[in-house]
Amino acid sequence: MEMKSLYLLIALAPLLGSALAGLFGWAIGRRAAHVATIAGVMVSAIGSAYTLNYLLNGGEPFNGNIYTWLTVNGIEYSVGFLVDNLTAMMMVVVTSVSLMVHIYTIGYMSEDPGYQRFFSYISLFTFSMLMLVMSNNFVQLFFGWEAVGLVSYLLIGFWFKKPTAIFANLKAFLVNRVGDFGFALGIGMVLYHFGGSLNYTDVFAAAPALKDATIELIPGSTWSLMTVTCILLFIGAMGKSAQFPLHVWLPDSMEGPTPISALIHAATMVTAGIFMVSRMSPLFELSDTALSVVLVAGSITALFMGFLGIVQNDIKRVVAYSTLSQLGYMTVALGVSAYNVAVFHLMTHAFFKALLFLAAGSVIIGMHHDQDMRNMGGLRKYMPITWITSLIGSLALIGTPFFAGFYSKDSIIEAVHASNLAGSGFAYFAVVAGVFITAFYSFRLYFLVFHGEERWMKVQHDDHHHDAHDDHDHHHGLGPNDKPHESPWVVTLPLVLLAIPSVFVGYIAIEPMLYGDFFKGIIYIDHEAHPAMATMAEHFHGAAAMTAHALQTLPFWLALAGVVTAWFFYMKAPQIPAAIKRMSGPIYTLLENKYYLDDIYFALFAKGSRLLGMGFWKVGDQALIDGLLVNGSAKLVGLFSRVTRKLQSGFIYSYATAMIIGVLGLMTLWLSGVIAR
Amino acid sequence: MSFQEVVFYVLSAIVLYSGLRVVTAKNPVHAALFLVLAFFSAAGHWLLMQAEFLAIALVLVYVGAVMVLFLFVVMMLDINFEKLHEGFWRHLPLAGTVAVIMIVEMVMVLLSPSADLSSMNEIAPLAEGMSNVRELGLQIYTTYLLPFELAAVLLLLAIVAAIALTMRKRKDTKYIDPAVQVRVQRADRVRVLKMDAEPRANADTDNNESAA
Amino acid sequence: MSWADLNLMPALPEIFLLTALSVILVLDLFLSDAKRGITYGLTLLTLLGCAVLTLTTWVPYPETTFSGMFVDDPVSDLAKIGLYIAVAVTLVYTRQYADNHGIFKGEYYTLTLFSLLGMMVMVSSSHFLTLYIGLELLSLALYALIALKRDSTPALEAAMKYFVLGALASGMLLYGMSMLYGATGSLFLVEVANDIASGQANSMLVVFGIVFVVAGLAFKLGAVPFHMWVPDVYHGSPTAITLMIGAAPKIAAMVFVWRILAQGLGAAVADWQMMLVVLAVLSMALGNITAIAQTNLKRMFAYSTVSHMGFLLVGILAGTEAGYTAALFYILVYVLMSLAGFGILLLLSRAGFDCETLDDLKGLNQKNSWYALLMLFAMFSMAGIPPLAGFYAKFAVLKAAVDVGLVWLAVVGVVFSLVGAFYYLRVVKCMYFDEPNDEPVPAARPDMKLVLSLNAVALLVLGVVPDSLLTLCVDAMKQSLSVVAGA
Repeated sequence: MEMKSLYLLIALAPLLGSALAGLFGWAIGRRAAHVATIAGVMVSAIGSAYTLNYLLNGGEPFNGNIYTWLTVNGIEYSVGFLVDNLTAMMMVVVTSVSLMVHIYTIGYMSEDPGYQRFFSYISLFTFSMLMLVMSNNFVQLFFGWEAVGLVSYLLIGFWFKKPTAIFANLKAFLVNRVGDFGFALGIGMVLYHFGGSLNYTDVFAAAPALKDATIELIPGSTWSLMTVTCILLFIGAMGKSAQFPLHVWLPDSMEGPTPISALIHAATMVTAGIFMVSRMSPLFELSDTALSVVLVAGSITALFMGFLGIVQNDIKRVVAYSTLSQLGYMTVALGVSAYNVAVFHLMTHAFFKALLFLAAGSVIIGMHHDQDMRNMGGLRKYMPITWITSLIGSLALIGTPFFAGFYSKDSIIEAVHASNLAGSGFAYFAVVAGVFITAFYSFRLYFLVFHGEERWMKVQHDDHHHDAHDDHDHHHGLGPNDKPHESPWVVTLPLVLLAIPSVFVGYIAIEPMLYGDFFKGIIYIDHEAHPAMATMAEHFHGAAAMTAHALQTLPFWLALAGVVTAWFFYMKAPQIPAAIKRMSGPIYTLLENKYYLDDIYFALFAKGSRLLGMGFWKVGDQALIDGLLVNGSAKLVGLFSRVTRKLQSGFIYSYATAMIIGVLGLMTLWLSGVIAR
Repeated sequence: MSFQEVVFYVLSAIVLYSGLRVVTAKNPVHAALFLVLAFFSAAGHWLLMQAEFLAIALVLVYVGAVMVLFLFVVMMLDINFEKLHEGFWRHLPLAGTVAVIMIVEMVMVLLSPSADLSSMNEIAPLAEGMSNVRELGLQIYTTYLLPFELAAVLLLLAIVAAIALTMRKRKDTKYIDPAVQVRVQRADRVRVLKMDAEPRANADTDNNESAA
Repeated sequence: MSWADLNLMPALPEIFLLTALSVILVLDLFLSDAKRGITYGLTLLTLLGCAVLTLTTWVPYPETTFSGMFVDDPVSDLAKIGLYIAVAVTLVYTRQYADNHGIFKGEYYTLTLFSLLGMMVMVSSSHFLTLYIGLELLSLALYALIALKRDSTPALEAAMKYFVLGALASGMLLYGMSMLYGATGSLFLVEVANDIASGQANSMLVVFGIVFVVAGLAFKLGAVPFHMWVPDVYHGSPTAITLMIGAAPKIAAMVFVWRILAQGLGAAVADWQMMLVVLAVLSMALGNITAIAQTNLKRMFAYSTVSHMGFLLVGILAGTEAGYTAALFYILVYVLMSLAGFGILLLLSRAGFDCETLDDLKGLNQKNSWYALLMLFAMFSMAGIPPLAGFYAKFAVLKAAVDVGLVWLAVVGVVFSLVGAFYYLRVVKCMYFDEPNDEPVPAARPDMKLVLSLNAVALLVLGVVPDSLLTLCVDAMKQSLSVVAGA
């Protein structure tokens, strides 16, 4: 098959599945809906794997337009694909995780009335994400960007009868609006200043010449064009990849069903920002200021979101904060110009985080939709597969040597260490401290859920007597005499399949992706200005050596310390966390309230804009628009139509008169024109 | 002023006057007759331009056929022209203003130097033995073949349209077909039924029932 | 010229149509009312035959015949294909309606074919005389079609109004043509164009003629202030005939206007541009604003037509190839939208009941959501909401205006299309958010349902992939204009 057609097929197969399940789901039934969508995604996954294999074996990257949508003033807006190693890797990650999630969903959503709708959405998401990563121009990138945002919105609010879900999806939508606004402005800058083309190739070709170009946004102060453009684009990435301070939507997005938390809010969509910045590396490399902004935003996210993970009791929220923190790591890598490390971590993270989410989902199924970790414990015996796979995922996450996360995360830390960019000192502290935090909360989760006493028995008992729990909707959960069961095979199979790359992919991929030719000509690094990667390459002597060396490094011992602390706190001496909680009152409250950011945003933006809206409503809408424009124009229209109605008398002679007056008018008009000549 | 010019202005005056009278005449028959007069004068104009055939065609077709038909229709229909003239004076101010402006503008256009009417060539006399009919025929059947054929289609369309709009197949019309009358057989009209005689009492009840 | 030189090939579709028309005319006499379906079938076959002939004789350059009075160029071919489709779709939509309303007669089909012949002549003429005869052929057939429902007083009144006003407009058109003849000494578009371009023509008379020609053309399009007939005729005619007037003839009228203004009077663009600007602004304003006050859908569509013709004029008045292309694209899309909109009205009508007020559409979504969706497509497209085809049509004409520096006109166009969105969306609101009435949705013929669905979905498809049709228009316009300029 010609590669172009293959790419088209890869992108469109999920769309077809989505359309089938979405439009005809009511007719074809549940089974056919999931068969259709899974078949579509499977086609994509196989095609993507083939593509990656093809490219790795010397196949030519593809860059071309498929269809010209429209041309305005010589600027083409087209649908085009750029399929190189970076794209192919993203395609494999997206489609394989998506395929796992599709299969998993059969089990997870089996009792949900919106079964077909859900399958339609996730397939649509896969299509949108593929369009995003395969794009060769900014317009299609933006289309994919918005489309994944839309599907994310739909899926967070999938249970649309639940008020919290509606609040969460609205929040996600609005916060992303802020990011997208910046992103759109960034694209506007590119269109306006980079030679009028929106094609990546053209823009990148034009970029070096504009390195020192300046613009005056506000008259009098000149800014570097490249910095402004890159920061605007990065604001888009901040929204989508949930970087501080636009991260607030991601924890709330856990209101959606677990499969999409795994697919969209851990493995794929939230990494779109990382992908985009890597793709734009030829632009970002030209602005140190922008890179510093990226670095600082990433380090804040990496460290402070990790803290929040410690105090969460909802199993999904712990994983969500860990996702935020890991996204911070990737952003940090971007900031120190280690784009390929960021993408590498993106890939390993996609596998092990999807695994952790799906495992959490499996636990939730086992607990009959109770998500509070305080009610769990000792599940190891009842859910062995979930237990083992979770353990693998957690080990990968904290960077245990030989597991996938180790290679990517350690490389990030190394890269930050080697960087000389402004802010890299803080970033180094943040990522190293983050290792401990990550290990601590990951194993806090692990121990609370899988080890220790079986607390669900006590819960119900307690409830009867002194209503101690703040869990309002406690109709979920296990009864005192119920036992959790291992989930069906459609749930555990994806866990096992995801566990495999979570272990091995780092070891295999580190050499080609970080130090080989995998990203040659795709990711551009100015090695003189940003020597981090070059320095690392000097010290790299193969994956095995790196693993062996790990035992002598600080991060390894920090991670170990985190695990031990978690074990000690939650297995040996559960009274200690409670004591700490009591002692560190204000700090704990601060963390509990997520640094009050939500409240600040709510007070500042939500209330503020409501106030502003109220003002607009009273003055602008009611007085000006309603009073003057709407009612005024309605009155005007009324008047007008009364006049025209009178003209439209129904008598031929008045019509003829109108025509003659018309001719007269034309003639007069022309006569005055002639006289004026 | 040459003789031709005198004739032209006289004819033009008649056309204008009769045109005005067509609109203003109270009696519809008079109006129609004024229209005939206008046509006649226009035919005179054509004669002045040595287009004898067209002049005669105008008289024959418009005056001879169309207008006569028109007169018939006017006379057969009982049109209340008084009613049609209602509101004439009411609308006159507007209509008059429009008309005056129109005339002024057209005069301005035609009299302005850039209209340059004087450069319009006088009609050169036709060569001896030049036949109007022959020239017209040559043109119609060669250069103007397409419009000519299309005009024929237009006429066909007019016929179809007229028939479609006026012909009625009235289902309730009673008419006699002599051929059918002649061919009629006894069996078509009379049928002899054989039936048993009925007792009288039954006949009585029958009658009662039918009466009820 | 001798008969041997006469090349009939370019006019083959017209000749075939006339022949087939005569055959149908005669055949129909021998058919009983029950077998009228044969006439219907033959008419559709004729259209198919014409389409095949047009496609097989399609050449990418203009060909003239009949002493240069007839021209067969890509624009005319494209327009003719549009005409066949529009007429065929109209006939399919009106089949049931005609049966229910007593106009399912042989004359309905022969008159339609006559009007089609008129439109084809209008589209393919390069001489003022043939242009005019084509126009009259169309108009006369339409007058008769409106009056075909003889026992309907509104229909007769509409026919009468259309007839009288049409005669007045024809008079103006002829007067203007005679002025042009006086100025240039020729009725051939090419010669008129050359005379004006070379400055030989008396420019005063030319412009004087243009005023009247524009007035006559504006009447045919239905542009303000020559639009007065439109609401009355649309409203008074049986819905089937309204569609017959509202769809195909618009294509013919657009090409007709293009032939006269662009090909004949292209050199005098400065003179007619301002006139068209006035007409366009008035049409967009009055059409859109008055439509808001209408509760009768046919009347609303009439005013909507007026406003759409304003948009069409915006494209034409740009006076550039891009502008003409945009206008051609606009009219083709417009006809598709009209067909879909009226198609729904026809679909919901049955014997003794015409679906024609807003109330009749109330709650359509609950009664038949597919029909409601199709109507939604038509309405959104007319309102110019992306991604439906109407958006690109509006976009193209406005862009053409901007390109020649008439930014303010484009702004006016956008403002009034926003005003217009109000009444289109009101229809949608009516269908989706109002309580349904008791009127049942009548059963429709399957062919009509299929064609109607295709028609409305085409609006969406053309909106997503506008390039397909746009490229056709661009090529046709380029090929038709380039050679004329050289000749």
